[in-house]
Amino acid sequence: MRSRGFLLRLAVKNLTRYGRRTVITALAIAAGVGIYIAMDSAIAGFAGESDRLYAGYETGDVAVTAPGYWEERQRFPLDRLVADPQAVIDTLRADGLSATPRTAFSGELVVRYDPFPEDGSLQAMFYGIDMDRDADVFGLLGSIEQGRAPDAGEDGLLIGRSLADRLGAEVGFPVTVTTRTRDGFHQLMDLEITGIFQTPNPVINRRAMYMPIGLVDTVLEMQGAVTHVHTVLPGNLPADADYRRVERLLADVDGVEVLSFEVMNQEMAEIMEIEDNALQIILFLLGIIAVVGISNTMLMAVLEREREIGMMRAVGVRNSEIRRMFFYEAGAIGLAGSVVGIALGSVLVWLLVNIGLDYGFLLDGVDMDFRWDGVLVGVWNVPTMGYAAVGASLVAGLASMVPVRRILKKTVTATLRDDH
Amino acid sequence: MITAQGVHKHYVDGETEVHALRGVDLTIDAGEFISIAGPSGSGKSTLLNLIGCLDSADEGEISINGTKVAGQKVAALVELRRQNIGFVFQSFNLIPVLTAYENVAMALSLLGTPDAEIRERVMSLLRDVGLEGMEHRRPSRLSGGQQQRVAVARALIKDPAIVLADEPTANLDSETGEQLLKLMKDMNRSRGTTFVFSTHDQMVMDYADRLCRLHDGEITHDERRSA
Repeated sequence: MRSRGFLLRLAVKNLTRYGRRTVITALAIAAGVGIYIAMDSAIAGFAGESDRLYAGYETGDVAVTAPGYWEERQRFPLDRLVADPQAVIDTLRADGLSATPRTAFSGELVVRYDPFPEDGSLQAMFYGIDMDRDADVFGLLGSIEQGRAPDAGEDGLLIGRSLADRLGAEVGFPVTVTTRTRDGFHQLMDLEITGIFQTPNPVINRRAMYMPIGLVDTVLEMQGAVTHVHTVLPGNLPADADYRRVERLLADVDGVEVLSFEVMNQEMAEIMEIEDNALQIILFLLGIIAVVGISNTMLMAVLEREREIGMMRAVGVRNSEIRRMFFYEAGAIGLAGSVVGIALGSVLVWLLVNIGLDYGFLLDGVDMDFRWDGVLVGVWNVPTMGYAAVGASLVAGLASMVPVRRILKKTVTATLRDDH
Repeated sequence: MITAQGVHKHYVDGETEVHALRGVDLTIDAGEFISIAGPSGSGKSTLLNLIGCLDSADEGEISINGTKVAGQKVAALVELRRQNIGFVFQSFNLIPVLTAYENVAMALSLLGTPDAEIRERVMSLLRDVGLEGMEHRRPSRLSGGQQQRVAVARALIKDPAIVLADEPTANLDSETGEQLLKLMKDMNRSRGTTFVFSTHDQMVMDYADRLCRLHDGEITHDERRSA
């Protein structure tokens, strides 16, 4: 143990030999660690924000549908319905959970010249929502920036700000929606835009429109059935145990399937997995830079001290102790770089958390499936900082092994000769 | 006691094979102060390396205190050097970032000696070699002679059975070289440590109690003098 302490002290003193080289290498590592921490923060922030907006405006924490609905959801099927949504809602409410029904359907929005700037139509997704209960689960009704939500029995429509701007729509403008009933017959609705909402979820701002669920029930001949019942669970984002709780509550309700947020968020999770892989590639590249930098620094140190290493081996210092000394030396450079990197990363994360990075202007007119409004807001991820510091120090230490191995392969007498 | 019997050593220098030692027979008793002299290329450094277990003989046998060097595992030879052999090099080979004290203490630290004992022994030895008050100086702030004194102290601090000194005065002026030789002879007398020098410096030869001359890898002269 004493020899370990001596080698550690010697390693630290050796760092003072090559001040500029040590500082440059440590700064390179610091830059890598700082960038990694900031990127991790940004990606975690992006993922968290995306989940929050998806749950908060589209899915809730748990959704109840008819079996098989979710797999077919892209075609907005009206043949897979929750027949008795009230039974589901009552069961959930009895256990203290808020719940609200929604019916999703596809249709065509038709607008005409005067008051609209021009005639036109577009395929869109429509939702019948319960005007009294929807706000218990979703943030939509709290995001109306102009006009109001339609009353329960009113032929009114809520549209997003992005869509309204695209169409040149204002509150009070009439529109027509064409769609098909539950039985497949053509149906037409004449509605008035009663409100324009602006949520942080750009997908619904651009694509979704909302009307009273009673109107949808009548026009689509739903006979009280709905496509979804959504509920919100305690906590920030639902855990598996919360989902199981809902599943247990509805075990006796026929003809329903309980969808966890994880299932509903699968596509986003896959996108985030790609993002994670990209981060891993960046981490790998940063690691390569660190390894090359530290190897080069240590190679020069080893070559310059070849005779000294020879002396140490001659007087009985074991090869393992010499390896350990260089491991400590390189690890200390890595640690110093990590400390500076954490400081740098913390500054970047602070900026991301408190100010954010707004590059929404790059996304103007870009229709993406990301639930993200273009302001990148980071999150603090302290474990990542710890892992980055430990990882960088270890990688740095291990990177020193290559040049040290090279010198230790020589005989003691050859290192003592030192032709350098 | 060190014995070498019929020792041969070849090595390759570029494209030339050098027969550095040609059947060397030598016995060095404990406590001797012996100089192995000869011109450059005579094989004296090679013989010192073999005695110091830094290299192995191609033929013949070397024993240190009855232990045959040949056939020992590398780790065992490292331990032998760590415990029993001290080295003094021509170019001092001190670690520049360590103070005189730390350079000397290194050997004891590696042996796991308690700090208090290290301090006592190192300070005492630095006093003995005339470096009292200079223990906090780094090598760059010491003269060549002082650096070699630190190197001698480093070799002696672990009370080794043998100190091997390869041309220890080669980088010193004659006055400093003589002071160093006196110091080493004092240590030899007071501690009973065996000193083996390689040299072509006449002054070192004059100080030795025994002089072996090597020429083309063979011992051509072995003379014991009265102490």
